[in-house]
Amino acid sequence: MMFWILIAVMTAAAALSILVPLARSARREDPVEAEQTADTAVYRQQLAEVDRDLERGLIETEAAVAARTEIARRLLAADERQHGAETGSKSGALLRLAMVTALVFLPLGSFGLYLYLGSPDLPDQPLFARLSEPAENQSVDVLVARVERHLSENPQDGQGWSVVAPVYMRMGNPKAAANAYANAIRLLGATAQLETDFGEALTVANDGIVSADAQAAFERAVALEPGAVKPRFFLALALGQEGKSEEAIASWSSLLEGADPSEAWVPVAQAELAKLGGTQMAGRLGSGEALPGPSAEEVAAASDMTDQDRTAMISGMVEGLAERLDDTGGSVDEWLRLIRAYSVLGEGDKAAAALTKARKVFAEDTSSLGRINEMAEKAGIEGS
Amino acid sequence: MIVELGHYALVLAFALSLIQSVLPMVGAVREDSRLMAIAPPVSVALFVLVALSFAALTAAYLSSDFSVVNVWENSHSAKPLIYKISGVWGNHEGSVLLWVLILVFFGALVGFFGTNIPASLRAATLAVQSWVTAGFILFILATSNPFNRIAEAPLEGNGLNPILQDIGLAIHPPLLYVGYVGFSITFSFAVAALILGRLDAAWARWVRPWTLLAWVFLTAGIAMGSYWAYYELGWGGWWFWDPVENASFMPWLAGTALLHSAIVMEKRDALKVWTVLLAIFTFSLSLLGTFLVRSGVLTSVHAFATDPERGVFILVLLCLFIGGSLTLYAWRAPMLKQGGLFAPISREGALVLNNLFLTAATVAVFVGTLYPLALDVITGEKISVGAPFFNLTFGPLMIPLLIAVPFGPVLAWKRGDLLAASQRLYAAFGIAILACLFTLWLWGFERVMAPLGVGLAVWVMTGAMVEILTRVKLFEVGLSRGFARLKGLPGSAWGTSIAHFGVGVTVLGIVTASAFQEERILTMKPGDNVELSGYELTFDGVVPRKGPNYREDVGHFTVRTGGTIVEKMEPSKRLYTARQMPTTEAAIMTSWFSQLYLSLGEGRDNGAVDVRVYFKPLVTLIWIGCMIMAFGGLVSIADRRLRVGAPKPARRATPSPQAAE
Repeated sequence: MMFWILIAVMTAAAALSILVPLARSARREDPVEAEQTADTAVYRQQLAEVDRDLERGLIETEAAVAARTEIARRLLAADERQHGAETGSKSGALLRLAMVTALVFLPLGSFGLYLYLGSPDLPDQPLFARLSEPAENQSVDVLVARVERHLSENPQDGQGWSVVAPVYMRMGNPKAAANAYANAIRLLGATAQLETDFGEALTVANDGIVSADAQAAFERAVALEPGAVKPRFFLALALGQEGKSEEAIASWSSLLEGADPSEAWVPVAQAELAKLGGTQMAGRLGSGEALPGPSAEEVAAASDMTDQDRTAMISGMVEGLAERLDDTGGSVDEWLRLIRAYSVLGEGDKAAAALTKARKVFAEDTSSLGRINEMAEKAGIEGS
Repeated sequence: MIVELGHYALVLAFALSLIQSVLPMVGAVREDSRLMAIAPPVSVALFVLVALSFAALTAAYLSSDFSVVNVWENSHSAKPLIYKISGVWGNHEGSVLLWVLILVFFGALVGFFGTNIPASLRAATLAVQSWVTAGFILFILATSNPFNRIAEAPLEGNGLNPILQDIGLAIHPPLLYVGYVGFSITFSFAVAALILGRLDAAWARWVRPWTLLAWVFLTAGIAMGSYWAYYELGWGGWWFWDPVENASFMPWLAGTALLHSAIVMEKRDALKVWTVLLAIFTFSLSLLGTFLVRSGVLTSVHAFATDPERGVFILVLLCLFIGGSLTLYAWRAPMLKQGGLFAPISREGALVLNNLFLTAATVAVFVGTLYPLALDVITGEKISVGAPFFNLTFGPLMIPLLIAVPFGPVLAWKRGDLLAASQRLYAAFGIAILACLFTLWLWGFERVMAPLGVGLAVWVMTGAMVEILTRVKLFEVGLSRGFARLKGLPGSAWGTSIAHFGVGVTVLGIVTASAFQEERILTMKPGDNVELSGYELTFDGVVPRKGPNYREDVGHFTVRTGGTIVEKMEPSKRLYTARQMPTTEAAIMTSWFSQLYLSLGEGRDNGAVDVRVYFKPLVTLIWIGCMIMAFGGLVSIADRRLRVGAPKPARRATPSPQAAE
């Protein structure tokens, strides 16, 4: 409301700057005369200057006389113009037109143009006010920015880092999360929980590959708490990714030993084990056309997991499939699944690369090639 | 709300400027006093509205309101306060808004203080000023609106280009803009006079203070820009002849010519046609400069061609204003009555000579600036026109002009006596010769041109002093009376002398700094020494340091003369982390008017670093001279005879001679 009042006031003031002089100057003296006196004033001043310069000896008498004649001539001309000029007729129609512009064109024009260009509903959003609003009214982004601001001023606040780290994970920013966990560990000291989360963040940031850094973090966590499941889970995953199948199988088995089957991670572990050819799940491998995919339990487990766990799990599976296809080859259906998985995960480059590889593998097989191309077209992937 | 109010104020200003463009002009042509009376209050209202709008944008910057696209693109919450403010005009949209603010500022000045100007001329002038204003506000609203919003405001901005995060660049654009947009008012006066068909000595007098004001700011702005480039770009050069610099230098040259020809018009009612043309050209060159800088044509002709919206808009405005005013000129100028006659050897003659050379120099700069662009557009060939071109064209034009400078003020109007004038300048000539010989003795015959250059500079300086002294006849009337007369001299006479003296000072700085500069470019290891012009520099090593938004490697140097430590110098190389942009920070030691200039190049292994060391004798005189020139302009404005806002002469039947003083 205040906004519209102020707009009205501004418009009114602008209109008045036109209307007031229109009304007032009706009482003024004749403009033409005033104008000519402004003219003659200048020449009179110039005459006085010449006199003064002469008096001070700044110019020669001769020059002064010449200058005076010249200025006098101009003065006379200006005088003549003054008498010759006719007073302009004051047109009433023009005046009315001027008033109408001030009263109608100005407000309507500017108001209309503003409504077209402006965003009257959008309030100011000064950063400070946004950051100091009560927490419940704020989006996660604002809260994070607030914590970031706090941390940039107090970088030694370990508690702050440990609070913001999981939020980063949830926001899908594992790199920032890893950095925050690292700071938290540095400032608060290592705990199994922090080390595990640190390793997990690194893993997620690395597209599900357990890097050496992550592995080290998980090992530290296991050292701090030998019974912890999560770090051991990732360590087993790492062994699998490294291709140390024997050791991986051993790890998975020991992990699964005595585990509560209702735990969300168990089916995943079992699937990994099965993939490695371990015994526990061997019987479950389907026969015939059915491809080994995530079991119903695995899917259920995945839906119980947090986003990160799920991403890690899915990308872990996809990477596993990719490696296998690279090493030992596979059916056209498996290739298609890999390409589709990449494209669903939003990894266009990898999808394209897989597509290229698949085309090379099935270069001789026209029906398979046809299916590959059809799928690629549908998913909008372009290989080379 | 504040942001939106600012937006509305700008839109309202646009509507108001449209009205201002029409009504007062109709009033002036039809001699309707009531319509003319609209102009001054509306000009003030326009200024208030645009100022509100600018203030709203500034408020958005200060509060880091990232819901404003412009703020988000160009600011950052962690930026120091001063750069939040300077960030307002450190980008395209904001700088155009500043442009408009200065346009309406000059309009309001004339509206408020121009009471000694006849109502019809004032009304028509303000109307013309409003044409320009309306055109540029439309440009802002249509293509470069700084008030565009984002509903989902981001939490952090992109930051300001680090090279702009410098105190010199924070204040230099506003100064420069006041200068080059200020010439718009001269343009408006010229167009108004052409429309009304009255162009006489009185006109020149009314226009003079405004031209001077714009010129003073432009002079100061160019000087600051030059000093900024000198210490920020790390090459020790103070003028690069790059197109952006030339864009402000061309209006300066034309404006200087205009100042001088307007004197002739005021005193003798002559050179009218030429003066009006210069007034049009000066502002046209300002517009051209704006086009060059703002359309992106300079960075790449092709970038401009692919995103031409803004550039084309300015180009259309440019054609409209320049083409329109020149057409008007071609139509009306022949009807002007020619005024006073004069002999070639006379004050007028000298001023015509000044105009000839300044105009030719403007053309030289114009060609050097636009030729590469034109060539790129037509043939696609890229060339760069640099210092050699300008040294060959601009330089030779300046020499005769400088020789003539002292003659102008001592020549009589109408019919001058060159011999008598020369006699008055004997002393100045003698001192100049002595300066030549002294330089020769000091530096020998190595650089033959340099002593001549020093002589020329001294000639201009002493000529300016001699002029003022002969005017008061100091040697004839004795000291005490002489001083009394000195005080009684009109401000414009003082202004002339001071400004001419400033020219000499700048020339002296240019000659000595370029001819007698000493430089060493070398790689130094910690502990190394280098000797230059009597200074002994020791490199103590490079230490990294962290600033608020950058990291830097600071080189530590100790400067000694004759074994005693005079100064510690710390040039550095900075890396602004937000944009990963490196800058060079030179270290400068000033001793008297000379400077020792030190800047770092690439770092090498084992702590060694490339170092550029310059000794620039009297280099600061270049900028001091410009400041003296600008000061001369101010003194001239302060001349009581020109002072505006005096009690309205129109109210008085016969102005008293006292008021005329």
